[in-house]
Amino acid sequence: MRDYWLSKLFFDLQSPKVAAEFRADRDSVLDRYSLSPEVRKALAENDAPFLAQRTNAYLLRYYFFTIGMKDAEFVQRLRGG
Amino acid sequence: MASFAGAFASSHGPLLVREWESVPAQQKERLTGAFRELGKRMRAAAPDVLVVVSPDHWSNFFLDNYPAVCIGVGAMSEGPPEAWMKAFPGRELAGHADFASHLLNESLKAGFEPAMSHRLKLDHGSCIPLWRMELERVPALVPMLVNSIEPPMPSLSRCVEWGRLVRKAIETYPGNLRIGILATGGLSHSIGEPTMGAIHEEFDRETIRLFSGSERALIEYLSEELPSRGNGSEEVRNWLVAHGAALGRGFELVDYLPVPAVIVGCGFAAWRAQ
Repeated sequence: MRDYWLSKLFFDLQSPKVAAEFRADRDSVLDRYSLSPEVRKALAENDAPFLAQRTNAYLLRYYFFTIGMKDAEFVQRLRGG
Repeated sequence: MASFAGAFASSHGPLLVREWESVPAQQKERLTGAFRELGKRMRAAAPDVLVVVSPDHWSNFFLDNYPAVCIGVGAMSEGPPEAWMKAFPGRELAGHADFASHLLNESLKAGFEPAMSHRLKLDHGSCIPLWRMELERVPALVPMLVNSIEPPMPSLSRCVEWGRLVRKAIETYPGNLRIGILATGGLSHSIGEPTMGAIHEEFDRETIRLFSGSERALIEYLSEELPSRGNGSEEVRNWLVAHGAALGRGFELVDYLPVPAVIVGCGFAAWRAQ
């Protein structure tokens, strides 16, 4: 399953400008995308397994890289740890 | 008429750049040696034009429109958009619009329907091998982006057929050019999946062995194994395009080593022009 807007958020965050905006004011960037409350909650909680079911694995990895999470923690979260 | 200058393949994992300093010295030396050997072979093959077969890592395409295959027909491509590739020497890379258009037309005549682009960004997939091969002169590049990132993807046998088509396009091009093909990506790796970090060395070595054997056995093996060998392994499709362009002959392994620091089974190969 693909959540288009979640994927679009991750895709757009590849832009350094959007990524900087996201770091400065996360909610104002999230408000531009049609995200369900469940998806916003998963983003807030870095719920990688929930997000993984809704987007492409490369985009998911880009997202966690962009927010500064180390790969080791990202993988641990993906595995539900 | 144009002639086939040879086929080449190289891994392209981003951590080859981003995490280069954390690669153990002995592996660094082997990786550097493999890239240089590939560069040496490419210089000897002296292609005027290079068809570069890579996936698009979400640099050009999104879910709005994600082509199975896209051929870059523009006079120029843009250099890598990734911030961590900023040291790559080249913000613009010359293309070869005339051969690219010929390839596009030959494709359509043969019943293949690729997308086309007059301006592509060539991300790390295309650019890491070109960079690390240390070529003094990069040939004119004809990008061929093959989807191995977002399912569903082109079938494995279709990728081989694409390679044969590239070969036919080379051999029917009226210009006096030497044209080679560079496949990038693979071998086994897993990105953004719970298995991220896994390298399947036995799968990689068997895949390498089968490139010297029957095409049918290679396709059967990959069809069976790819679903459980990590999403990055799907990039072997690009190697299949190169294999098809080489008419399935002349495969030579330059080097293979699993490199946990870059989470990729790193493979380097060339097919003799014949």
